[in-house]
Amino acid sequence: MKTYASLLTLSGLLMLGACDKEDPVQELEQEVITDVTLTFTELDANGNPTATTLSFTASDPEGVELGGNPEIETISGLEAGKSYRLSLDLFNGIANESITEEIEEEDAEHQFFFLGSAFDEAFSYVYEDEDADGNPVGLLGTVAVAANASGNSVIRVILRHDLDKSNASAQNPNWAEYEQAGGETDLDVSFPVQF
Amino acid sequence: MKLLVAYLSLFYLAISGGFAQSECSMVLRGRILDAETHMPIEGAAIWLYPVGKSSVSDDKGQFSIKDLCAGSYVVDIHSLGYKEGKTEIQLSSSTILTFTLEKDLLLLDYVEVSAHKERLITTTTVSTLSGKALENTRGGNLAQSLEKISGVTMYSSGGTVSKPVIHGLHSNRILIMNNGVRQEGQQWGSDHAPEIDPFVADEISVVKGAEAVRYGPEAMGGVILLTPKDLPTTKEIHGSAYAIGQSNGRSGTLAANLEGGFGKWKGFGWRLQGSTRRAGNLSSPEYYQGNTGLKEANLSGAFGFRSERLDWDIFLSHFSTQLGILRDAHTGNISDLNAIIENGRPFNDPGFSFDVINPKQQVQHQLAKAMGHYHLNKKLTLTAQYAFQANSRQEFDKRRGDLNDKAALDLSLFTQTLDLSLDVKPGGFWIHTLGLSGMNQVNTNIPGTGVTPLIPNYDLNNLGGFAISRFTKARYELEAGLRYDWRQVDAARYRSNGQLQERLFQYQNITASLGAVYYWRENLSYRTNLGTAWRPPSVNELFSEGLHHGVAAYEKGNLDFKSEKAIKWIHTLAASGEKWSIEATGYANLIQDYIYLQPTENQAVSIRGSFYIFEYQQTDALLWGGDVSGRYQLLPNISYEAKASVVRAQNRTDKSNLPWIPTDRLQHGLLWEGSAWGFIKAPSLGINLSHVARQYHMPNFDYITAPEAFTLLGIESNWQIALGKNTLNMALQVQNVLNVSYREYMNRFKYFTEETGRNISLKLRYEF
Repeated sequence: MKTYASLLTLSGLLMLGACDKEDPVQELEQEVITDVTLTFTELDANGNPTATTLSFTASDPEGVELGGNPEIETISGLEAGKSYRLSLDLFNGIANESITEEIEEEDAEHQFFFLGSAFDEAFSYVYEDEDADGNPVGLLGTVAVAANASGNSVIRVILRHDLDKSNASAQNPNWAEYEQAGGETDLDVSFPVQF
Repeated sequence: MKLLVAYLSLFYLAISGGFAQSECSMVLRGRILDAETHMPIEGAAIWLYPVGKSSVSDDKGQFSIKDLCAGSYVVDIHSLGYKEGKTEIQLSSSTILTFTLEKDLLLLDYVEVSAHKERLITTTTVSTLSGKALENTRGGNLAQSLEKISGVTMYSSGGTVSKPVIHGLHSNRILIMNNGVRQEGQQWGSDHAPEIDPFVADEISVVKGAEAVRYGPEAMGGVILLTPKDLPTTKEIHGSAYAIGQSNGRSGTLAANLEGGFGKWKGFGWRLQGSTRRAGNLSSPEYYQGNTGLKEANLSGAFGFRSERLDWDIFLSHFSTQLGILRDAHTGNISDLNAIIENGRPFNDPGFSFDVINPKQQVQHQLAKAMGHYHLNKKLTLTAQYAFQANSRQEFDKRRGDLNDKAALDLSLFTQTLDLSLDVKPGGFWIHTLGLSGMNQVNTNIPGTGVTPLIPNYDLNNLGGFAISRFTKARYELEAGLRYDWRQVDAARYRSNGQLQERLFQYQNITASLGAVYYWRENLSYRTNLGTAWRPPSVNELFSEGLHHGVAAYEKGNLDFKSEKAIKWIHTLAASGEKWSIEATGYANLIQDYIYLQPTENQAVSIRGSFYIFEYQQTDALLWGGDVSGRYQLLPNISYEAKASVVRAQNRTDKSNLPWIPTDRLQHGLLWEGSAWGFIKAPSLGINLSHVARQYHMPNFDYITAPEAFTLLGIESNWQIALGKNTLNMALQVQNVLNVSYREYMNRFKYFTEETGRNISLKLRYEF
């Protein structure tokens, strides 16, 4: 019986030495993009910005979640035949951080592509910014609206991260096979467009 | 060898009486067992006087001596490390006897084989990798080594992360015992490999039945035992050194071990062991797999003491690895995943590089263990073992800015285990083992990752008690066991919406097993084991709620899961002749409340794109299959070897196939073993083919159709060169000789890349 008693004592000792977990700490999601705002600033005949601006936002306050549905505003009010400066602003509402600034700091690793039916006829896009290597980024660009633009279409904004920007096709903002340059998608949002 | 002092301690028991036999055609069959453990003693020399006939026991401890006449004989048994056994027998018919030998601990200096080697005694099916077969696998990871055993396959995430699969089960459903300690690392799914340095082991055994009575929860699919050599007690210093180079990944491995004893302090021994490995990008036949390099460094030390009544040892080990994850396997959303599947290969081809960038894993595992073994008296032996393990896992993703230097997953897991067991030998041929085991585990997320953790903070306590009884005779062995376990898990975490979630789970279960081995003759045996096992749901199955980038899926757990309960019945028939041997195993494993991840077509939509929703679910599962392995000596120096395995796994609720089950496979080859040729000793040359079938039993959902069947050719040559008293062993191996492009169904990265192409390895091992 002595043996059994010592066995019990030993196992008791183990439990005494047992550790407890620490309280969990809430993490604020640093990677999530919750808000994307497209700001269109009308350009005059010389290509200079005017005071007319239009902004449209897509927002997804909790990031990827079950049953979550991002709210996306419809782009309307753009006029046929005019040109606009398109600037993009990305925001993380959970950690209250500007993703735009992070992209500017790492512009060589990021690039926006603009797809969707709007670029079939209605819109044409030209990159207006570049990274240190002279490659486009897409935070800033110019959109020319065709004189005959009408009806409904879609602008699909894609942000690629860690892509190989030396790929020649990456100079094309409407490159449908953007995956060929590698990297991954950080943003893939489609805005409806109405004329 | 010094002559052993004659000391008789021999039991014998006549089993078969018999009918009249012609005068001089009687056969004496017998089995030689260790008096303490009842393990068979291999290689014992049996002499029969006065006729002067002799025999040597095989690996089951069996021998036979034929053409004997009736009369009285003296049986004299010698085995290194055991006291000589001498007894007189009367032979009037063919007879089977059991002999037991006592260990000779007074002669420690002359004992080469351990006195207390911890071997598993079981009636279930065990396959072991040791000696040359194990040495030939050096330079790979644990799962790659174990693929040599029939019925064991690999589940991997690319070329750098792989884990063993036994009879279709893996991860939390199999247990790894590293030097007697239950490995408690982080095994949340396919992308976490066991944190083990295979160089620690001198022998790796795979228990293919449910061995849950001895080992507790989770030993449902089987157990992997890594056993180092026993510590030496002789004064001289011995060791071995390895240098291994491999062409694919341009990897280099260096490893060494040193061991010795102390002249003055009899019984004390020590060992130091270390290994380091560096590899760069692996290559498929047509391209390099970007970011698939790794760095690994491991160190261990052991110190112990052995005497007649007491032996103890302490063991410390440190494992650390940094490994790259194929860059393209981290996909952004469903459209990324579809693009790479359509492309058929990674978009990135950075060429060769040793650099490891994000995504990567950094894993460290520390183990400290103290074990004592004390013979209270002839009938009672007490074993106690305490172990502490600290596991740290950091996973880095491709992120923005400073976040790249911060782990996206940063977990620290501390585990304490205490195991006590008492062996009782009441006399006769019984051995009873009583055991108690306790485990305390604490998992903590290191704050500051900027990502809602996948795994909550938790502490886990497990208490278990078991009893196993075993009866060993010359022709059969019987075993029965019973165990009770209680487990409590206290978990807490913040969800991504900021809500604090705290849960306390309690589980308890009884496990039982029954087994038998029957020997018709020394070369024909049948073993069977019916065992139950259970496994509480793991925390990831309970708590998952977030993105898994590798498969563009949102994974969702369920807090209401019950424990899995399994019953596995395994049978093995082993037979051999002068020129051949064959072993066939069949099994069925019925698992109630089997937990699996069910992919659905439903999608979660966000401004990042869409993701599939994968839900953990419970169902009843049936896994069944068989393994066959055999060998035939075609010519005196040429043999043919083959092994094949088949597994089927069914979801019994809807009769569908379970995902991630190994495909049917056959490996076979010819081996030439020559005699010494000049200064080259023991040359051998093997050529083998491995055929892997297509998975015709696909689950309802997968992103791609099953990969095509493939055949790989391998060549392997070994030889030795004597350098003075020491030996240099050399091996040249070529895997995938024809540089075949293929995909393995069991690799989760089959969506992204082909498997690796040709690999040429040169392995040197110097023993001194």
